[in-house]
Amino acid sequence: MTKAHDKLHGLPAARKAILSGLRFTSLRLRLVVVFALVALTAAVSASGIAYWLNREAVLTRAQDAALKDFRQQLQARAGALPPHATQDELQVAAGQMATSSQRYSVLLIGEDASGKRVYGYSDLDGFTLAKVPKALRDAVKKQQAVSSGNRSPYHLYWQRSTDHGTPYLVGGAKVIGGGPTGYMLKSLEPEAKDLSSLGWSLAIATALALVGAALLAQAAATTVLKPVHRLGVAARRLGEGKLDTRLRVSGTDELADLSRTFNRTAENLEKRIADMSARDEASRRFVADMSHELRTPLTAITAVTEVLEEELDAETGSVDPMIEPAVRLVVSETRRLNDLVENLMEVTRFDAGTARLVLDDVDIADQITACIDARAWLDAVELDAERGSTVRLDPRRLDVILANLIGNALKHGGSPVKVSVRLDGESLLIAVRDGGPGIPEDVLPHVFDRFYKASASRPRSEGSGLGLSIALENAHIHGGEITAANSPGGGAVFTLCLPRDPSPLTADPGPDGDADPEADGGPDGDRPEEGREKS
Amino acid sequence: MTFVPSLLLIEDDDAIRTALELSLTRQGHRVATAATGEDGLKLLSEQRPDLIVLDVMLPGIDGFEVCRRIRRTDQLPIILLTARSDDIDVVVGLESGADDYVVKPVQGRVLDARIRAVLRRGEREANDAATFGSLVIDRAAMTVTKNGEDLQLTPTELRLLLELSRRPGQALSRQQLLRLVWEHDYLGDSRLVDACVQRLRAKVEDVPSSPTLIRTVRGVGYRLDTPQ
Repeated sequence: MTKAHDKLHGLPAARKAILSGLRFTSLRLRLVVVFALVALTAAVSASGIAYWLNREAVLTRAQDAALKDFRQQLQARAGALPPHATQDELQVAAGQMATSSQRYSVLLIGEDASGKRVYGYSDLDGFTLAKVPKALRDAVKKQQAVSSGNRSPYHLYWQRSTDHGTPYLVGGAKVIGGGPTGYMLKSLEPEAKDLSSLGWSLAIATALALVGAALLAQAAATTVLKPVHRLGVAARRLGEGKLDTRLRVSGTDELADLSRTFNRTAENLEKRIADMSARDEASRRFVADMSHELRTPLTAITAVTEVLEEELDAETGSVDPMIEPAVRLVVSETRRLNDLVENLMEVTRFDAGTARLVLDDVDIADQITACIDARAWLDAVELDAERGSTVRLDPRRLDVILANLIGNALKHGGSPVKVSVRLDGESLLIAVRDGGPGIPEDVLPHVFDRFYKASASRPRSEGSGLGLSIALENAHIHGGEITAANSPGGGAVFTLCLPRDPSPLTADPGPDGDADPEADGGPDGDRPEEGREKS
Repeated sequence: MTFVPSLLLIEDDDAIRTALELSLTRQGHRVATAATGEDGLKLLSEQRPDLIVLDVMLPGIDGFEVCRRIRRTDQLPIILLTARSDDIDVVVGLESGADDYVVKPVQGRVLDARIRAVLRRGEREANDAATFGSLVIDRAAMTVTKNGEDLQLTPTELRLLLELSRRPGQALSRQQLLRLVWEHDYLGDSRLVDACVQRLRAKVEDVPSSPTLIRTVRGVGYRLDTPQ
């Protein structure tokens, strides 16, 4: 059912597609077609009219001349014959008439004294009575009533006809007053030849006009399409973010106008984007400066709160029990403020693009164990990793990622948190799995957003709200990725994927980073293994 | 008769200077302070501390410059106090000769641990000597001579050379060296090792750009070889 329906709709749809394709793909083709059609119409109508007028003029002149001559000859020769002329006399008269300059054949028909029909031919082979159409014979024979509008009872009649492709003119008249009836036949072949050659010339002219129109259309298309093409290229460049793209404007036509509009648009766009990025830059710098400025007093406070903390832990009773909670609060909040500022600094470094990788070759299992151990999570985390796999990465950034992922899992999912490490070809996959309720579907896309809180009513968590975002940035700078999902068995799974060797990302020249500080040393440099293998 | 290390703290911010002085004094150090690099250098010529804690952002001559000036004549251990952990700062600091760096806001305990680790590097442990080509490492006198000439090494450089020389021909990873020499935890900055190796090469190698003694082992770390 639906198939038949589709078929029904298929054809018009296809035609529509082709039409619209033609409409939009080739402006050039359309221009050429339109130009050619215009040229064809003009040429054909002009040639047609010219041919028709010429044909009429030529034929009428030839015909008039022939008929006029025939009439004169008929009057002069046939009128001079006796009323009942003999066959011979008619024959002679016909021959004489046919010698006129108009070159026609003559047939004279009369009645001799015995009432028998006699004929006089000028050309017995070419012209007999059979060639005279019956209608013409009837018209010639027909006696008309003489009136004021019609002074003679018989008239000269003529007809144009073709015989075996050859056009000819037949005319006939009866000599008034009982004379013989005369017919003439004039071949119109020379005229037809002239007209046919005229027709050919006109056809050739039309064809030339068509070719000319096509060439003109090409030229016109080029002049129109070149600016359009330039405009297209410029628009594409603009789209690619090259905001300083401008067009050279020449002339005052619509395309120049369009180019000017394009330039103005690009200028405004550039200005606006510059404004926006300047504002963005300013606000980023503000955050960077602010967190920077916060550090100085924070450094002093941190150093002093440690003194206070030691005093509390000393249990010497030197701190007033009334004040102790206040001191503890100051100590813990200072630590939190420290973390927050630390995270803000980290974020601003990523935003400003000044974050750099400090790569080193590390044993991945050792590194994760150390990270868990340093935060006293060994009891709450199960690690599934093989020892002895060396990966090249930034250990500090890996620690930040893992601490955030595992810390997050412990906070929201609770222990046990399972960390599994897998080396898959050129990438390192670390999955952090918790046993909690998982992440609601509507929160899932936002877990890496800065300061994102699952719900406004949720109590403020201990984290800065930047942890997962920073973890993600740290993965990105390695050329890696972190994905969040819910495992089918319940609980959230964060999967970190890092390339095994992100060295190409730190290819920029610098004194640091690369593990081979004397890479530009002499040829005898520092590749002992390779050297020995060769020798 | 415990050893009380004497420190010189050069820091321009009054609050930080006071707080750190307080904190470090409580950790058992003798602390002298200076607010500018010029004052610090003057103080250094009057009394010789065991170690210098140096802020990078100073009015007048900055921390890097102070570091370079000290290194011209002295191999005193220097710990940089950098407010910006922008990586380029760390690199410049290490190139100007600092032994270690701590990022602000610094915890007093961390700073104390770093100070003690740096000071431990000068302690002697064994009484033997090792020879690597023209280089003689005298572990008893804690001196290094090259072609019979004394080399001026900072305690960090000396410790790095000692750790490498203890395992000749064996490659040590940067993380291992960070633990052995700098006593850093698992998050040590490998650039400390690279910068120190560069400085050490400049002093012990014949041609520092094509080293024959301290060689890089690609993908692992460094190794001390006996040249053939």
